[in-house]
Amino acid sequence: MKNIRIWFTKDNECKYISHLDLNRVVMRALHKSKINLWHTEGFNPHPFVTFPLPLSLGFRGVKECMDIRLIEDEYNKDEIISSLNDCLPSGIHVYDVTEPIMKAGKIDKGLFEIVIEDDTVDVDILFNNFKKLLQQECILVMKKTKKKGFKEIDIKPHILQWKVADYNEYIKCKVLLPAGSTNNINPTLIINAYNNKYNADVFYQITRLDIFDKDGNSFR
Amino acid sequence: MVNKEVEKYLLKVQKPAKYVGGELNSVVKNKEDVEIRFAFCFPDTYEVGMSHLGMKILYSQFNSIPYIWCERVFAPWIDMEEIMVENNIPLYALESGDPLSEFDFIGFTLQYELSFTNVLNMLKLGNIPICSKDRTGLTNIVVAGGPCTCNPEPIADFVDIFFIGEGEEVDLEVMELLRECRKEKTTREEFLIRASQIQGCYVPSLYEIEYNEDGTLKSITPLNNAPKKIKKRLMMDMDNSYYPDNFVVPNTEIVHDRAMQEIFRGCIRGCRFCQAGFLYRPVREKSPEVINQQCHTLCSNTGYDEVSLSSLSSSDYSQIVPLLDKLTAWSTEEKVSISLPSLRVDGFTDDIMSKIKTVRKSGLTFAPEAGSQRLRDAINKNVQEDELLNTCRTAFSGGWTRVKLYFMIGLPTETMEDVNAIPALGKKVVDEYYKNPDRPKGKSVSVTVSASSFVPKPFTPFQWEPQDTISTIHKKQKSIKEHIESKKIIFNYHEADTSFLEGVFARGDRKLCKVMLKACERGFHFDGWSDCFDLQKWLDLFEECNIDPSFYNNRRREFDELLPWDHIDYGVKKDFLINECKKAYASKTTPHCRLECSKCGANRYGGGVCFEKH
Repeated sequence: MKNIRIWFTKDNECKYISHLDLNRVVMRALHKSKINLWHTEGFNPHPFVTFPLPLSLGFRGVKECMDIRLIEDEYNKDEIISSLNDCLPSGIHVYDVTEPIMKAGKIDKGLFEIVIEDDTVDVDILFNNFKKLLQQECILVMKKTKKKGFKEIDIKPHILQWKVADYNEYIKCKVLLPAGSTNNINPTLIINAYNNKYNADVFYQITRLDIFDKDGNSFR
Repeated sequence: MVNKEVEKYLLKVQKPAKYVGGELNSVVKNKEDVEIRFAFCFPDTYEVGMSHLGMKILYSQFNSIPYIWCERVFAPWIDMEEIMVENNIPLYALESGDPLSEFDFIGFTLQYELSFTNVLNMLKLGNIPICSKDRTGLTNIVVAGGPCTCNPEPIADFVDIFFIGEGEEVDLEVMELLRECRKEKTTREEFLIRASQIQGCYVPSLYEIEYNEDGTLKSITPLNNAPKKIKKRLMMDMDNSYYPDNFVVPNTEIVHDRAMQEIFRGCIRGCRFCQAGFLYRPVREKSPEVINQQCHTLCSNTGYDEVSLSSLSSSDYSQIVPLLDKLTAWSTEEKVSISLPSLRVDGFTDDIMSKIKTVRKSGLTFAPEAGSQRLRDAINKNVQEDELLNTCRTAFSGGWTRVKLYFMIGLPTETMEDVNAIPALGKKVVDEYYKNPDRPKGKSVSVTVSASSFVPKPFTPFQWEPQDTISTIHKKQKSIKEHIESKKIIFNYHEADTSFLEGVFARGDRKLCKVMLKACERGFHFDGWSDCFDLQKWLDLFEECNIDPSFYNNRRREFDELLPWDHIDYGVKKDFLINECKKAYASKTTPHCRLECSKCGANRYGGGVCFEKH
């Protein structure tokens, strides 16, 4: 028995696969690939697959991972990569297989890149407004609570690092946010705060670039 | 392919994965390399359309031809539709993201009468002129196939060509014809006239309809040499018919999320209410070897771990046990489960049960259709009460605790006594459970009694029958509810309102086209969904158009009345249907095709069950 970590990107059409659906897509791909998986031994045996940190619907992911358990200890990395890629939709691309070094529970932060466009205002204005927002002492937004309600929270203390850059037609913002099993801040909240403050409806595209443990080491 | 304009809005709608394509096995070609672009439109949501086997067969088959690129189009759900209309995003195909107007053929599959408004709405969303007469040139040819083309008259003004029968051959012949006509630079009219000469093609604009003063049909006159009778197409050699070795595997959950393997077409039974049982005659089976091989390939190529054997009545497959043996030889090893839907009450044997036992015990569904033996005989269901009870006993001993029973109310000759026999039968099934010493320990039984309202359909022995009025249906539903005493019985019923509209369209004529057009202008859609359906809106519309819907629904037609679908020929003789109808009045049954030939006329196709050696 061996646990391995599969690294993949999630892009294009596949951005819109929800986590629940991703689970199904992956199960089918694993089944099709005929990789020798270990199955749970319950009444309804199924392969053992977990995702250390699910990705929100609509986000691109360039360094996503899932853990699977093989029956044999030995495995051929390239074979697994190519057979999985043959069985997955083109928007999901496996690029590496490693042995898991950190436990999923170690995940503490996520680095996101947000590309923002608004064709109703000049990029300069968008850039300055966005900077202004992130410089505020407190950024209040409504956040969905687990009990299906909303609660106003200040996300400013949770924005661990940020950087904004302007390009010809859009601005790019990089933010480091808490991510993991205990505390999570969705970068969409920053967009919501912006839209509220400036009465805007911007088009945005979020990419999760990397995830880290609490000491800032890239998750491996 | 998803274009940026659409992407701006995708996070504002539910399940955006439905609108982007990019699934495993979807076919993307270079549009410069193809001559014919075919938009296969399913007039319902992605989840429903992607579950449809016919679309999967034709999609793969069309795309296997180098000069054709077939793409998929579904009706956007109301949240997405609203956004598309508001932002001028035309309806597009999932593979290329190109709008409907760029397609040579816009093909619909008509599975259900209440999806007719979605057909028109999809044309509208794609910026295609709704009426056939307003479309020009050798492009945007609107075609439609599927069971509802057996009476396509309510939408005759909007579709250029209807395909009658099975589409595998005729669709390709028409695409080839368009290629020819383009080379010859003919007019659209000339193309349609030539198409009408292809067997299975019904070009409604080439038929003139005259009415009597009472609103019934006086005559149907073909023009430009179009055939007097449009004969259906069908595949006689099922083993050598095209079957896909690959399905598009959706990235989001759909209604039937599994591999589907067709095992035969048609049905030997001849239940008198069942349209499919007459349209798809004669029964044509695939051999177990072919099914087994196709099944295995399909599972390997899709990654599905469940395959369902599809037909109108799986247990009537003549070699069901040898087939299940072949399938289980590899399926257990490969962790694939086999499911057998459409089991008949008398087909659930120990032998079959033990082979499909690997499937989760979610529940078993049987369809006695009527509560009393007399009525079951009248509709020719040919199921005896003790057979049903025996079957339930087998199921309970096998560990099942949930049984679903399907019934219909409003069947011809039905009395209140027959109606009240429905809850009584439910009760007998519950009692059977507690009589059974082998029943699963410590578990309760649940019997779902589901009653839909009968809608008489063309090409059945009941095509002349009046449909029960809404108030009669309500009365019958109420009576069943009152007669259910056990808490183990759950009673469900279909809305009588939707069945009413379904009935109007099912046996409607061309006079309904003006109602359909108005409905489209007013944005009617998803009539099959309770979220959208509103009978009052329809009744208002009928009144405005001076049309009495009960003329179509609640009137008894004479056997000699000219029916709106009488120029269409499915191979079953009208005399046979009349005779079957009379036998129903006498509660007399007709044996199934393997017991005795009842001379329905389907033997003219020279194959299938009619020539099987028994």
